[in-house]
Amino acid sequence: MTAPLSKAVREAGARIVAALAARYRDLDLAEEAFAEACARAAEKWEKEPPERPDAWLYRAAERCALDLLRKRRVRERLAPEPPEPEPNAEEVMMDDASLIPDERLRLIFVCCHPAVAPESRAALTLRLICGLSTAEIARSFLLAEPTLAQRLVRAKRKIAEAGVPFEIPGPQLWAERLDAVLSTLEVAYSKAHEDAAAAGPHAGYAGEMLDLTRTLAELLPDEPEVLALAAIVRFAEARRPARMGQRGEMIPLSEQDPTLWNRRLIDEGNTYLRRVAASDAYGSRAFQAAIHGAWCARRSLEEPAPWPRVLALYDALLTRRDDPIVRINRAVALAEVEGAEAALEEIEALDAAALAAFLPYHAVRADLLKRTGRPVEARAAYDVALALEPGPAEAAWLRERRDA
Amino acid sequence: MQYMLLIYEDEAIFGDNKDNPALQEIVGKHMAFAQSLGDTLKGGAGLKPTAMATTVRTSGGAQTIHDGPFAETKEQLGGYYLVDVPNLDAAMEIARKIPLAKDGSIEIRPLLGADDGAA
Repeated sequence: MTAPLSKAVREAGARIVAALAARYRDLDLAEEAFAEACARAAEKWEKEPPERPDAWLYRAAERCALDLLRKRRVRERLAPEPPEPEPNAEEVMMDDASLIPDERLRLIFVCCHPAVAPESRAALTLRLICGLSTAEIARSFLLAEPTLAQRLVRAKRKIAEAGVPFEIPGPQLWAERLDAVLSTLEVAYSKAHEDAAAAGPHAGYAGEMLDLTRTLAELLPDEPEVLALAAIVRFAEARRPARMGQRGEMIPLSEQDPTLWNRRLIDEGNTYLRRVAASDAYGSRAFQAAIHGAWCARRSLEEPAPWPRVLALYDALLTRRDDPIVRINRAVALAEVEGAEAALEEIEALDAAALAAFLPYHAVRADLLKRTGRPVEARAAYDVALALEPGPAEAAWLRERRDA
Repeated sequence: MQYMLLIYEDEAIFGDNKDNPALQEIVGKHMAFAQSLGDTLKGGAGLKPTAMATTVRTSGGAQTIHDGPFAETKEQLGGYYLVDVPNLDAAMEIARKIPLAKDGSIEIRPLLGADDGAA
């Protein structure tokens, strides 16, 4: 692939596919047409790279889509081949404006429709909205590529054949639909975030997540949960440069050097957070954003860590969302404020059997056992955590703790 | 697009007797509901209980006749609506409003159309 082509695909590919999908209400057609346009570009750009690569690709993909539609009709013998359509007003305007309509939001609602299997929504969003390849998505979901590919095919088929509308749902459905969209983006982002070194396949789409949450916040400026997610993604991304040590080990939040954090992203996060605080009806994501915000307010390692504030925010979050994940995180803060004994008591009250395969449970429990003078039990808990196959950075950190 | 909305409920609620007040009440609700659908409604019916069902089963070329439904389940198919609406969201909106005596499920199934080779 030529350099201008791979750049255009990376920067505008997802937007072009979304625009085509929204226009023709057909995901497969959009993907196929875009692939065809890229093939044509690979051939033509060698000699003569266009002035506006993204507009060129969009126009070419549109033509490919119409070609494909015509061929499909002929193949199905449903109608005689229709003539090449006259350019419509929109296309004429396109010639000078080179505008690719941003239909990604509409497409997100399609990908996250409740009729699509929950385990397919995030994969479909990453494929269609972020333009990740099937191989990349399969790697981040720890699935074999054919399995993931099959899941995508099934989801796209369901969307086409069950008649999922290519529309942004009306306000009466928002509570339900918006939450599905936000949860899907959270899953997608957590995959990007796990990759601490930013060297793996997800590093690129962490950027897409910043972009996507900004778009969502622009389009739905009065939805506090949308603003909160935009803030969370920014705070979390801001800390990426400080998340790994020299030996490739994970550095926990309280030990990260705040001077390495990205101030521009933190400022953006704070702007969103202020808008969340100004709204009167916020949900659990608002508290999560506030917790991130409390951490990101720290300026240096000399400044005390904001544990009391973090604990108070976890207490508030618990009234909205009471689940083991929140309780485990709260216990970490409780250990710093009231001591490891109190925190361990909270952890031991959780349902151990239900959390048997949940790595943070064992990691936090191991740490608290160690701090309360139970080295043998602590070591066993670290071994359980390590047996759950954490990523290399977290594994390195757990081993260091265990052997310290 | 046309969708079949299949209604699954525990038929025990309605009993065997046609004069059962629960049955009378739900039939009344369905009549009013069907009326409210206007032109989108293409068909529909309530079904007699599964005790009245007979199943013809073909297996390995041999056919056998059974008394009873195709499968014993906690909720049974008790009726259906056939509607013509623009998309799945519209079908879901109708499905949410279908009267139920108590708990139950509405399965939404798109009909095969001309695009699917059933011209």
